[in-house]
Amino acid sequence: MSKLLKPVKLVVIAGEAGRVTRKYPFEEPLVTPDFRGKIEINASKCIGCGACVNACPPNALQLIEDKEKLVLRYFIGRCIFCWRCIDVCPTGAIKGTREFELATDDISDLYTHVVHSRKACASCGNTYATEKIIRYVAEHASLSEEYLDKCPDCRKRNFIKALSRRRSGFE
Amino acid sequence: MHSQTLLDRYIQLAGKLGGKHLVEGDMVHLYIPRENLVKAASTLFNEYRLTHRTCVAIDERPLNGFFTLTHIFTDDSSRLYVLVKTYLEGDNPVAPSIVGEVPAADWCELEAMDLLGIQFEGRRRERLVLPPYWPDGVYPLRKEFSYDQRLNLHAVSEKIEQAVETGVPVPIGPYHPALHEPEYFELYVEGERILDVKYRGFHVHRGIEKLAESRMTYQQVNFLAERICGICGFEHSTCYALAVEKAAKLDVPERAQFIRSIVLEVERLHSHLLWLGVAFHTLGYDAGFMHMWRIREKVMELAEALTGSRKTYGINMVGGVRRDINEEKRKKTIEVLNELEKEFSKIIDVAISVPQVKKRLTGTGVLPKEWAVKLGVEGPVARASGVDRDARRDLPYAAYKHASFKVPVYTEGDNMARALVRVDEVKESMSIIIQLLDAIPRGPIMLDKYEISEGRIGVQVVEAPRGGDIHYVLTGKGKPYRWRVRAPTYNNIPALRIMLRDQSLADAPLTIASIDPCFSCTDRIMVIRENGRVERISFNRGVPL
Repeated sequence: MSKLLKPVKLVVIAGEAGRVTRKYPFEEPLVTPDFRGKIEINASKCIGCGACVNACPPNALQLIEDKEKLVLRYFIGRCIFCWRCIDVCPTGAIKGTREFELATDDISDLYTHVVHSRKACASCGNTYATEKIIRYVAEHASLSEEYLDKCPDCRKRNFIKALSRRRSGFE
Repeated sequence: MHSQTLLDRYIQLAGKLGGKHLVEGDMVHLYIPRENLVKAASTLFNEYRLTHRTCVAIDERPLNGFFTLTHIFTDDSSRLYVLVKTYLEGDNPVAPSIVGEVPAADWCELEAMDLLGIQFEGRRRERLVLPPYWPDGVYPLRKEFSYDQRLNLHAVSEKIEQAVETGVPVPIGPYHPALHEPEYFELYVEGERILDVKYRGFHVHRGIEKLAESRMTYQQVNFLAERICGICGFEHSTCYALAVEKAAKLDVPERAQFIRSIVLEVERLHSHLLWLGVAFHTLGYDAGFMHMWRIREKVMELAEALTGSRKTYGINMVGGVRRDINEEKRKKTIEVLNELEKEFSKIIDVAISVPQVKKRLTGTGVLPKEWAVKLGVEGPVARASGVDRDARRDLPYAAYKHASFKVPVYTEGDNMARALVRVDEVKESMSIIIQLLDAIPRGPIMLDKYEISEGRIGVQVVEAPRGGDIHYVLTGKGKPYRWRVRAPTYNNIPALRIMLRDQSLADAPLTIASIDPCFSCTDRIMVIRENGRVERISFNRGVPL
């Protein structure tokens, strides 16, 4: 008889468990403190180096360049919330949040843009790296201002010129 | 490390068949001339009783001018991987087919035919992975095919072939309310009895292997590997990371290996609880389903606390893991598991005693041991049919050598046996996690610096909840040159034909569910998803059934 009634024991189990359905969204979000949600980019700290872009597996972070500007674009639609960008950012500009309620009826909500202006080369006038990255390098490496304010092409040209001057004495 | 006599027999085999050998860690590479490949495969499979895991075809023309075909065997008793490699000449290479001797190699040969254009002697080309309207002579995994190339394809329907003369076809899928993923079964029935079954899958090819070989870096592939499967993703990323680490001979910190094992077992817990719930649901025992999933939620929260995400944990890297387990998390994990253990025992005890559950599970969907061996089935499906095989014990990886656990084996081979294997494994998993948490060593969790040189090979088997995942990596410049993935369902689906025959139609959904199929895993590889029209092939056509 008890064998036949065994399935009924589930009622007792259900009673002990009580109500487990939570009243989300009227209750606090259900995520734990370690949850990885969307990222936030601190535009004042970002130097536009592109380390996060190289690390990002799904290309949610992209660099878009033109002559004057360099834009770091973050698109939540592609983000897998792995936080690799946070690991690799040299300046700590990217911060993780616990935010996960990201649905929207306006796709522009899903984009974040960080706009950097690019520095013009002191000798040829072409733009090269972002102004911030040059400042960052100047702070962290002992390179002279004169060297940093030129684009890589001009640096090369100057180097070769200097070499030939030293060897031959001519320009 | 390994007993010399066992190694000797492989070395002698290579010598006898005019080939060469190379022993590297736990991998034995045998280079066999193509005319002796069948002989070698047959000896390994039928005489030495090795497990055939899969085969890998590689376009190595940019490196050495050859296509190559590698059959991967594992010697589970002596913890060895035996890789039989053959070089194939020409732009339209022809390889000997081993399917007559090794039925388990059926699908991987068809896949090599589809993706790399390797012809197999005595086998007609039929589409397995690619759709039927894919143009001839275009082979996506060849190196000259760029990963973002788009072909102008026009879907056409295929002539329907009937598997058996008699019988009424009953289609299940590809989109069916009871199925979670696109797959297509066609059951031929006479009255209530199933006469034969056809399967057509591979509707969700995502071109993962090509993508990894073309666009991604070693570290990025971890996250892609994790997305092969929505349920056992961590197994795939661990498997990939271990394969690369083996190829590059990296010595990963012990603590990282422990964390990997712990998280792998957490994933197994959630997967088995999910399966038990789904099985009860399929049986119409929804109360059991609800309670299984209620306690599963605790595992999901545990996973989130340990890794930062409920699923797709994203903590694996080549060289270690990204999240540590601190004292607080350790305590919490043990607390959750103790509670879970009590609840699970209570619920499963009641659920298994429900007459309708008992009756419908017992004696249905029987897979005899003989077929389980022949088709090389994996995981709980194999263990329920008396095949004592578990990569965690047989080919220990991560930190499993530090834990002691039982491998449940049942001999009945029916749906009940498959359910009970999983019930036992849930209990074992909980004990493994607690053992590993007790023994976890201190230290770093990630290698600081390492180098991955080109042209090295790594193969790894990881026991996922559904069976052995296998990843093969041939390293290249900053990314894998070739990455081959085989998920366990790939080997388990062909067994469904045996299980379903002569069964009642009403039990078919349960039996299909009993292998815990994961179609996205199985379908992982290819490039095309343009509205695949259902086409039909009978699976296992190459195998005399």
